[in-house]
Amino acid sequence: MNYFFELITKGIGFSRVGRIICSKESKRFISTPNILVPMKKSLMNHISFLEEFEDHEVFLILKEFYLKIGFLREKFKHTGFIYKHNGSMEKFKEILANNIDIFSEDNIIPLIPFNIPTTTINKEFAKNEIINFISDANQILNQYQNLDFGLSIKIFEHPELFDLYLPLIKDNSNVRIINLVDLFDVFSKYRNILKVVFQIKQELDNNLVLMASGRIIPKLYPILVYLGIDLIDCSYLLYLSSENFYDTIEHLLPIYKLKYLPCPCPICKRKLKYIREDKYSSDKIEQLTLHNIISAYTYMNKIKLYLRMEDFRGFVEKSSFDDMNIISMLKVLDKQYFNAMKLETPITQANRLINCFGPSSYYRPDFQEFRERLLKSFTPESWTKLIIILPCSAKKPYSESKSHRKFHSIIRKFRDFPDFQEIILTSPLGSIPRQLENIYPVNSYDISVTGDWDNEEITIASNMLIKLLEKYDKDIPIICHLKEPGYLKIIDNARLKLKNKFHFTEVKSNLTTIESLKSLENSIRDLKDSFKPLEPLPKIKNFSKSWTRKINKILDYQFGTRAGEKICSNGIRTRKNDRRHQIEIIDLTNNENLGKFYFNTGQIELNLSGANRLLPLNENTNYMVFDGQLIKGNTLFRPGIINYSPNLFPKDFTLIFDKDKKNLIGLGKLEVGSNYIKNSKTGKIANVYEKIK
Amino acid sequence: MSMKKLNENNFLVEKIKALRSKAIKKKPQFEDEQLDKPVSFWIKEDRLLKEKGKEFTVILRTKGCSWALGETGGCSMCGYIQDSTIEEIDHIHIINQFNYALEKKIKEISADKDDFVLKIFNSGSFFDDDEISADVREHIYNRIAEVPKIKEIVVESRVDYITREKLKIMKNILKNKYIEVAIGLETTNDYIRNTYINKGLKFEDFLNAVQISKDNNIGVRVYLLFKPPFLNEQTAIDDCASSIQKLAELKVNTISINPLNIQKNSLVEYLWYQNRYRPPWFYSLFKCIIKACKDNSILDSVRIISSPSGAGTKRGIHNCLKRDCNEFMINSLKEFVITQNITCLIKKDDSYSCDCLIKYQLQKNFI
Repeated sequence: MNYFFELITKGIGFSRVGRIICSKESKRFISTPNILVPMKKSLMNHISFLEEFEDHEVFLILKEFYLKIGFLREKFKHTGFIYKHNGSMEKFKEILANNIDIFSEDNIIPLIPFNIPTTTINKEFAKNEIINFISDANQILNQYQNLDFGLSIKIFEHPELFDLYLPLIKDNSNVRIINLVDLFDVFSKYRNILKVVFQIKQELDNNLVLMASGRIIPKLYPILVYLGIDLIDCSYLLYLSSENFYDTIEHLLPIYKLKYLPCPCPICKRKLKYIREDKYSSDKIEQLTLHNIISAYTYMNKIKLYLRMEDFRGFVEKSSFDDMNIISMLKVLDKQYFNAMKLETPITQANRLINCFGPSSYYRPDFQEFRERLLKSFTPESWTKLIIILPCSAKKPYSESKSHRKFHSIIRKFRDFPDFQEIILTSPLGSIPRQLENIYPVNSYDISVTGDWDNEEITIASNMLIKLLEKYDKDIPIICHLKEPGYLKIIDNARLKLKNKFHFTEVKSNLTTIESLKSLENSIRDLKDSFKPLEPLPKIKNFSKSWTRKINKILDYQFGTRAGEKICSNGIRTRKNDRRHQIEIIDLTNNENLGKFYFNTGQIELNLSGANRLLPLNENTNYMVFDGQLIKGNTLFRPGIINYSPNLFPKDFTLIFDKDKKNLIGLGKLEVGSNYIKNSKTGKIANVYEKIK
Repeated sequence: MSMKKLNENNFLVEKIKALRSKAIKKKPQFEDEQLDKPVSFWIKEDRLLKEKGKEFTVILRTKGCSWALGETGGCSMCGYIQDSTIEEIDHIHIINQFNYALEKKIKEISADKDDFVLKIFNSGSFFDDDEISADVREHIYNRIAEVPKIKEIVVESRVDYITREKLKIMKNILKNKYIEVAIGLETTNDYIRNTYINKGLKFEDFLNAVQISKDNNIGVRVYLLFKPPFLNEQTAIDDCASSIQKLAELKVNTISINPLNIQKNSLVEYLWYQNRYRPPWFYSLFKCIIKACKDNSILDSVRIISSPSGAGTKRGIHNCLKRDCNEFMINSLKEFVITQNITCLIKKDDSYSCDCLIKYQLQKNFI
C-alpha cells in the first residue's frame, strides 16, 4: 500500500479533515476525524445499534471471532475495521499468523497491542517495559512488511520516554496508525500531553494517522481533534456505562441523579426512560451503553460539521468551558507553542463568523499571527501628515458601518484626505490601519462590546498601537476621536511611551452627533497642515483612491514589505466585480491584469504577470521549488517539491519556481504549512491556480 | 544458582523489599507452645488423581521462604512470610507441629471411607535444608508411611532445592504412595514470571526439575498464578490458557490454578490500595479453563484443580460482591475440580445468571 492517509483540508491548530484509504478499487474510505465504535455482542444484539450505525465507517473489532471472512464481507461491505487485541502479545502474534489472509485482503488494520504492564512503579521500570515492547513490535513489523499496522504507544506518565519509539516508527514504513493509549488518561497533566503531540508532529511523518484510546470522554473530543487526533476510540464509554454513568457531553452523571433524560436519541425516548430507576439491571446498563455511544457519535458528527462549516477554534473554546484542564491546555498552546502552531493554522477562513468569547480568544494562533504580521509588514505611507484614531464598529468592514460612514463624511471633505492615516482600535485584534480592514480576521470577527475593556485587551491594543505609531515621525499630529474609557486608556498608555502629540476631539453625547463630528472637522482643519511630510502624495499614481492604498498594503501584508511598491510601481486602478465579490487589479500604464482581491477570504490572488514583479524575491516571500520545468495538472504534490521557504502557512499563496529556481512557473494556494511539508513524503501541498504552459 | 542474574533488570525489587520489610522487621514472638503447633491444618473434599477423595492439609511454621528473606526481595504477590518465624526455629518444633496435626486427625482419617492426599505446606520450600532439615523430612516421611489411608502426598519447593538425592530418599520411604512435588512456576512465560512476579526462575531450570522428578517416578504439580500483577483480565486469560496447554504437552501430572489474592505487605496489595490492580473475575477464570481444555483430551491426562483463597471477597477472586453470585461460582468450580468435567463451568441459560456479567463484559478491557 503506497499511501494510507490523505489530507483533504487543513484546519486550525493540528485539526484536519482527511481520509484513510482502505481500498482504492472498491472505493472504501474512512473519513477522519472519526469515532471508533467497538463491536460488542451485547450491543450488536440491539436493533437500535444496527440502525444508528449501519452507515458508520469504522469499527473496532475486539474478538478474533469477528475476523471470520463471511461475517465481515456480508454485513459491512463499505466499512473499515481496526483489530484491537486486549490480551497478550503472544496471542496476538498467533491470531495474526492464523488470519493473515483476512488482514491482507479485507483491509482490517491490526493494532500492535501494548496491554501489559497496566501500570508501572517507576521510570526505570517503564523504560524497560517500553524497550521490551519495541523489540517485540519491531519483530512483527519486520515479519509482515507488506501489511499496514497500527502501533500502540504508552508512556506511563513520562513524556521523555516517547523518544524511545521514534526509531521504531521511522524505520518501519508499515506503521500507519499511532495509537496513543495512555497519553490522555490524566488530562490534568496537559503539559506532558502537549510535549508528546508536538514531538509527533515535528519529528514524525505527518501522514501518520493519530488515534487516541484510553480514558477519554466525549467532552474532550474537540480539543483532541484540535491536537490532530484523527480517530478516537470510545471504548471507555463501555466501562463508564457499566458503572451507571450517563453522558450528557458537558457532564458525566450517575443515572440515579437524573430526573429528566436530556437526550432525544431513540434509546432515551424509549426503553431507558422506563427502566431508568431499576437498581441492578443488565438491561439498563445495556441501554445506557447504547445511549452513551450514540451520544458520543452524535457529538463527533457535530465536530465534523463544524470543522468543515464553521470557525472550529471557536467551537473548541466553547467546549473548553466544560473542563478546566482544557482551558489550561488552550492557554499553554496559545502562549508557549505559538511558533509551532502558527505554521499549522490557515492564514484565512472564508465566509465564517469568527466569534471572540473572551480571554480564551485573544491569543488564538490566527489572531497572534495577524497582529505580528501586520506590525512586521506595514510601513507608513511616506506622504502621511496626520493620523486619526477611531473606534471600531460592529459591522465589518468598518467603512460600511453607519459610524464610519459619518466619520468619512467629515474626513473626505478635505481634498488632501489621502494624506491622513486612519487607525482603528479594536479588541482583540489591536490597532488596524484602515488599509487592512478587509483582510482576515478583521473582516469577519465579532466580540461582545459593553464599553468595558479588560486589562489584557487594553494591553494588546496599546502595545500594537505603540509599535505602529513608532513607525511614524514623532511630529505627526494624532487626532483621537474616541469616547469610551477603554479606548482612552489605550491612548494614555501610548502617550506614556511616545513623544507624539495627541489631540482629542470634543465629544458631545456620542461620536456621531453633529457637535462631535464638527469637533472632528475642526481638529482636522487645524492640524492637517502642521506637519510637512518629506514626500508628497504621488500625483499620477491614483493614490487618492482608497482601494489603491488598500491593495498596496494588502500586498505588503501577504508578500512582505515593499511588495506593494514592486507590483504597483506603474500605478494601478481597480475594478469592482460585485457579482463575483472581487476587485480586479489592473496596471495603470499598460492595462495589464495583475490579480484579484477576493472579499470572502480577504486575500489578493496574483496572476503570473503580477507575481513576476515580485522578483527578485525578498526574504519574506513564500516560494517553492518544483522538481521540473513544467507543472502538469492543477495540484502540487509533495514528491514534486525539492525546496521551500520555511514560513509557509496553509491557505497562503506561494510562488512556484522551476528546478533551478530561476523561472517562475506557477502560482499556488497552499493546503498545508512548512512543518507538514518538512514531515511528509506524500500528499497534496498546493492547488496550482496558474502556471506557464 | 543464577538467581541474582535474573534480577539484574528487576526494577521492582527495591519496592518489594521495602514493602515486605515491615513483616520481616516485626519478627513475631512465638511462645514455645505456639511453635509446637502448626499454622493451620484441615480436612476437606478434594480430587485425587483419578477419583474423588479428601485432602489433609498441614501448614508448618518454619523460618520462612529463603527467596522472600533474601536480597532479591521475594515474589511480588506473596505475603506468606507473615506466618513465618523469620528467626531460626529449632527443628524439634517442626517435628512437633507435624505430629500434633497428625495426632489430631488420625482417627478421622482412618475412619473415613475416602482415600486421602496429604498436603504439607511450609510457605517456602520443603526441600530447603534451612527451613526443614533432612532429619525432619525423614521423620515426616516415616510417620506418613504408617498411614495407609494416605495415598498421595504433595510438598512444595523451589526448583533450586529439588535434587535427585532428596527425591530418592523420599521415594524410598514412601514407595507405595503417589508423590507430587509442587513447583510455583506461575506461568510458562519467563518475562512475566521474572519481571512482574519476581520469581527468579528460568523455564529451563523448571524443565530440569521436571525431568529429575520423572526420573525418580515422582509426579509434578505446577502452580499457575491467575492474573499476576501488571496484567489485565484478557492477558491473564491468554497467559494462563497458554501455560496450561504448554504444561499439558510436557505431561505434568497436576496443574493447580491459583487466582491471585491480595496478601498483606505484598507489592500487589500496594497496587490494589491505589486501584491499580483488581483481583480476577470468576468469569475470566472459567473462560481460561474452557479455552485451554477446548479439546477435552487435556483433562484425560492432566488433573486441573483450583481452590482459590479468599474467593468471593474483595481481596480474592470475585465477580460482584453479592454472596449468591460468588457462591454459585465457587460451587461450580468445586464441582469441576471434583469431577474434572468442563461442563460444570459452562453456564447454561436456565441456571443462575447475575447482572454483573454485563458489567464484566463492558469493563473487561479496562481492568
